[in-house]
Amino acid sequence: MAISSSKRREPAFADRRLRVLSWLDRLMLILSVGIFLFAVLFPFYWIALSSFSPRYELFTIPPRYWLSTFTLENYQVLADNIPLLRYFFNSLIFASGSSVVSVVAAFLASYALARLRFRGADLVFVGFLVSIALPQIGTLVPLFDLYNRLHMINTYRGLIILMSSLITPFTIWILVPFIQQIPVEIEEAATIDGARLPQMLWHIVVPVMRPALVTLLILNFIISWNELLYPLVFATTRATKTLSVGLVELAVQPTSGGGRPWHLLSAQSMIMIIPVLVLVLFFQRLIITGLTRGAVK
Amino acid sequence: MSHPISDEVRADAALAREAVQERALRRRAGRRKVARRLVTLFLLLLPAVGLRLFTAVYPYLQTIRLSFYEYNPAFPPERFVGFENFERMASDPSVTSSVSFTILFVVVSTMLQLILGLLVALLLNRAFFGRGLVRAINLIPWAIPMVVAAIGFRWMYNAQYGIINDLLRRTLGFTVAWLTNYWSARVAVTATNVWKSTPFLALVFLASLQGVPEELYEAGRVDGTNRLTAFFHITLPLILPQVTTLGLFMLVWQLASFDLIFTMTGGGPGYATQVLAYAIYQVAFTGLNFGYASAISMVLFVVVAIFGTLGVLLYRRVEVIY
Repeated sequence: MAISSSKRREPAFADRRLRVLSWLDRLMLILSVGIFLFAVLFPFYWIALSSFSPRYELFTIPPRYWLSTFTLENYQVLADNIPLLRYFFNSLIFASGSSVVSVVAAFLASYALARLRFRGADLVFVGFLVSIALPQIGTLVPLFDLYNRLHMINTYRGLIILMSSLITPFTIWILVPFIQQIPVEIEEAATIDGARLPQMLWHIVVPVMRPALVTLLILNFIISWNELLYPLVFATTRATKTLSVGLVELAVQPTSGGGRPWHLLSAQSMIMIIPVLVLVLFFQRLIITGLTRGAVK
Repeated sequence: MSHPISDEVRADAALAREAVQERALRRRAGRRKVARRLVTLFLLLLPAVGLRLFTAVYPYLQTIRLSFYEYNPAFPPERFVGFENFERMASDPSVTSSVSFTILFVVVSTMLQLILGLLVALLLNRAFFGRGLVRAINLIPWAIPMVVAAIGFRWMYNAQYGIINDLLRRTLGFTVAWLTNYWSARVAVTATNVWKSTPFLALVFLASLQGVPEELYEAGRVDGTNRLTAFFHITLPLILPQVTTLGLFMLVWQLASFDLIFTMTGGGPGYATQVLAYAIYQVAFTGLNFGYASAISMVLFVVVAIFGTLGVLLYRRVEVIY
């Protein structure tokens, strides 16, 4: 205490200048954080506000910045007009199915690529990566024909195959370096014990990789939950449509004079983002490591 | 009738025979091991490779073929038309303008995302109260669906009741019919796209920033460098490889953007905000012109290939320099 105060007193002039500078610096920092938070959060605030306001309060000039009347009526109207629960359930099946299938397929392939050194392993790995660059939209026409012939349009399994295939290469990209960094001795010891490959994968490799696998399950769930294009084309019935499809149908349908139902669109948007927000808040640390591991090698 | 010598020879021969047999056995076992390894390899790779072959490789080959056909799924027989689809495209404004807007949209978006992403990362890397929470909030735009972002912004851009015009009216005294004017619609969709993806880039850059050793900055401080020089001479060179990789990834990835345009503008006004992916979707599933849609897909694929190659070349250069 005494030392620091005597130190601070030494050069009086430079000290004051420094203090003003650091004060300015603090202020700038706080301002920047404030602007950043405003830019990120305001659209959510606006959607939430619109979803809880009665319809007539949305269409005023100037718009209301604060909630004056709280109502859940928009959610009620929405549930009366579209099969909301059904879409929610479909989204849940679609997203969890795609997440599980992609992580399992990617895990098996990544193990082969990382551990069983074989000729052409690098080629297969690069092949997976290059296939990410093929735009999904360019595959829809032949897939539509194929699915038509196989009677897989409007089936969960058809949708899950498409979506899990789309996210498998990313998953492999993240998993291969992860498996490579696990010391191989553990597995060698297991092979000497005579554990066969499936048992060894299940009892030894999977437990070591649990955090990575859980992270990828969450990431792939979020990505699939948010997917629009595949369900838009391949889910056209009430029994398979996802929330994203229900939402855009409401958003792009032609309107007859009355303007778009922004109160309903906001309410449905809320329903779609709340599960994702819960996941993000619970698993933020895992998600951050998962997202950055792939990009920062 | 046995000679001692021939006995020995016989014993030797028996030993040799045994050795040969054993070697053969071992070789057979080895071969069996190799075969088992191959089967294991095949089984492990099968699900992932199978999925990709079924939903990416096969359809792409079909798309290439179909681009030379006229094909309406409602009137099945396909008709070979050679390069007709491609000739038709040259004079189709919905295609030509989507090519130019796709490139403009992707290049401008990526540049803004890189710059803003770096700025946000630098901000989130500083010490301040509640930094952990702010970093978590930074995840939100990445995590929400693009369709929700598009709807939220479309509502905020609303010419009459939108919040953006209200703020403009209060501060600057004018309003813009955002989504009904040619250039303002282009600005609006690009801004929404930047808003949605910048936090993801910031997150990755933040991780790279945390990898820059603190001693370098301390050394810089001893030499009396200020923060700006430190950024350009210490930070940027060290994270440049990651910045280029991510920039390349965003360029190629965003060439296929669909959700935003579909939900926010439907390509309008006119063809102002039409991107290739949206044009393909419209031609295929509204116009039921599968052949023509495949031909446009080929254009998109060529654009992706060009950008990808340029990007990889650029990446190599950066790697050599640093």
